[in-house]
Amino acid sequence: MEVVVALTLRNNAEKRRAYWSFVTPAFFLYLLVFAFPIVISILLSLSDYNGGKMFGGTPWSIIGFQQYSKLFVDPSFWLALKNNVYIVLISVFGQLPLGFILAYIIYRKIVKWGEGWQAVLYVPAIISVIVLGIMWKLVFASNGLIADIENHLLATSFSNGLGSILAGAGGFHITDGVVQQILKISDPQVIASFANPVQDLKDLILGGGYDAGHLDVFKTEMTNLLAPKWSPDFMSKQDVAMIPIMFVTLWCWTGMYLILFLANMQKIDSQIIEAARIDGANELQVMSRVIIPSLSGVLANAAILCIAGSLNTFALIWAMTAGGPMNITQVLAIYMYQNAFIGAPNFPLANAISMAIVVFSLLLIALTMYVEKKFGGKEE
Amino acid sequence: MSDSPRQIKANPLWGFLGKTAAYIVMGVFAFMTIYPIIWLCINSFKTTPDYMLDKVGLPPTWVLANYVGAWTIGSFDKLIGNSILYTLAGAAGIIFFSVLAGFGFAKIRSRATAPIYGTFVIGILLSITSLMVPIFLEISQIDRLLGDLVQNLGWGKTTDFHLFYNTQFGMILIYIGSGLPIAVYLCTEYIKSIPDSLVEAARIDGAGYFRIFWRIVLPMAAPIATTVAIITVPNIWNEFALINIVVSDNNLKSLPLGIMRFNGTMSTDYGKQFAALVIGLAPMLIFYIAFRKQITNGVAGGAVKG
Repeated sequence: MEVVVALTLRNNAEKRRAYWSFVTPAFFLYLLVFAFPIVISILLSLSDYNGGKMFGGTPWSIIGFQQYSKLFVDPSFWLALKNNVYIVLISVFGQLPLGFILAYIIYRKIVKWGEGWQAVLYVPAIISVIVLGIMWKLVFASNGLIADIENHLLATSFSNGLGSILAGAGGFHITDGVVQQILKISDPQVIASFANPVQDLKDLILGGGYDAGHLDVFKTEMTNLLAPKWSPDFMSKQDVAMIPIMFVTLWCWTGMYLILFLANMQKIDSQIIEAARIDGANELQVMSRVIIPSLSGVLANAAILCIAGSLNTFALIWAMTAGGPMNITQVLAIYMYQNAFIGAPNFPLANAISMAIVVFSLLLIALTMYVEKKFGGKEE
Repeated sequence: MSDSPRQIKANPLWGFLGKTAAYIVMGVFAFMTIYPIIWLCINSFKTTPDYMLDKVGLPPTWVLANYVGAWTIGSFDKLIGNSILYTLAGAAGIIFFSVLAGFGFAKIRSRATAPIYGTFVIGILLSITSLMVPIFLEISQIDRLLGDLVQNLGWGKTTDFHLFYNTQFGMILIYIGSGLPIAVYLCTEYIKSIPDSLVEAARIDGAGYFRIFWRIVLPMAAPIATTVAIITVPNIWNEFALINIVVSDNNLKSLPLGIMRFNGTMSTDYGKQFAALVIGLAPMLIFYIAFRKQITNGVAGGAVKG
């Protein structure tokens, strides 16, 4: 009897020792990276600490909620929050539905090569957003890919217009009327540089040594000179500048939700769908009555992932615009970064922003969970 | 498996239109996904003047000079080496510590499990990016405290001492910590499905817990370890926000930081910038092509209930 008790005690002691030696390393690292920073952040956001040694340096003390009240009257905070809300909205109401529809198309085998589409659409999700951000910046830039394509089109249409004007004039006959027609399709900015447009352009054409035998040379040179040019400003204009960023956000992550939804759709018993079809349900009814209810838990998880990710978006925007120009594409994480690391640091304010992000994400996640609980269907 | 329901299509015209629309939607999305990346690769072989003249077409002459230049300026050999170190050490650490903790949570009964495991699950919802400022303050202040100690002992100067800030060790620890919540959750749930009898039988045979961990649990956890690795590797490889503030020494930086440099001062040298971007996306693209099946399964399995 005593031996058994002794053995059990030894066993228990060993158990406890094993338990703690298994759990402690992970828990310690978790505390280091999540728990301590949150405590530090709460304390500092209420303090007047401003850099330097935290212990044994210039003394600092807790002074209350001043930083938070400063935050709520700071227009840049509201701008960052507004932009961040755009990102959250495009993520939750863009990525998720699109990912769902694409997954549904593949799942129901409405298109062939489901594996192939899936493989291609996931590619952006695995590549560094720094690379993708810079890539899209080069596409959207005022001298980027989109501008280049549009300018090619403008040049072609100018060149064609010039051709038909000359054809209408019956060949290379430059009269005032012809010149006026050319001016009409030209770039207004170039024309504005002429003092006397009709006369100047006529002189230019007649003095250029062109002749009817080399009309293509004439057309090319006129196109280079006069064709309208477009330099898009969607990366630098207030209210518009968020659109490319929202587009790229959508572009990057939709494929990930596609894979997530598709994998879970494939777990649904196909007999249920078959039965619904036999009962006369159409494709839309199958989707809304069978598939969406049985995926409601997965949809809620995806929404949570989406909210947490998009409220913390940083690297993509950092690569595309760095929050600029003039902070118009600022989001909360960049606003926080700037307050902590650029110029004179304001650590209390940066920590207040950090806590604001954490609180926002927890609130939105709680809301998602509540919605799922209230309106979600049963899970398999 | 699920192709039978489609046979009962009521209206063939509708079906045809729907199919066409579906192909168009898929085609547009696939094109939008792939074209920019192909465009990037093509332009990386153009000289900067050629790019300025024509941004759409193929290069008039294909040049490799951009790659040579970008590789030397960016010192990508060093950056890629660093990225491999961070990724492998981070992933290995996450797997090891999370299987270890998962074994504890799942197979050894303790009253501490509920609160500690619960803390990990809450951590899944928190994003490390929002905590970058306090993490920076935490590690730099710990370094200061340790530095003071070093100075008092007469071993060096406070300001020169770094254990966490601007060290590979510190960065790897932070990566491990940030990946743990989801990994601990996945491993615990997985190890719960290993029969208790296996552990108990080994106990009766006199095996200690550490022996059971090495001999039974760790080998049996291989599938979930793969999932964790698949989720972790791209995350650490592509991570930018944290390493951007924790590491300032050029010799310790990772690939994304190196590519970001081409976005600043060298942003008008388009040829080299394109080459740097291709160097930046190639490793993960290769990883994806090699492990596409596992990655797809890992993403689907790793996006768990919060």
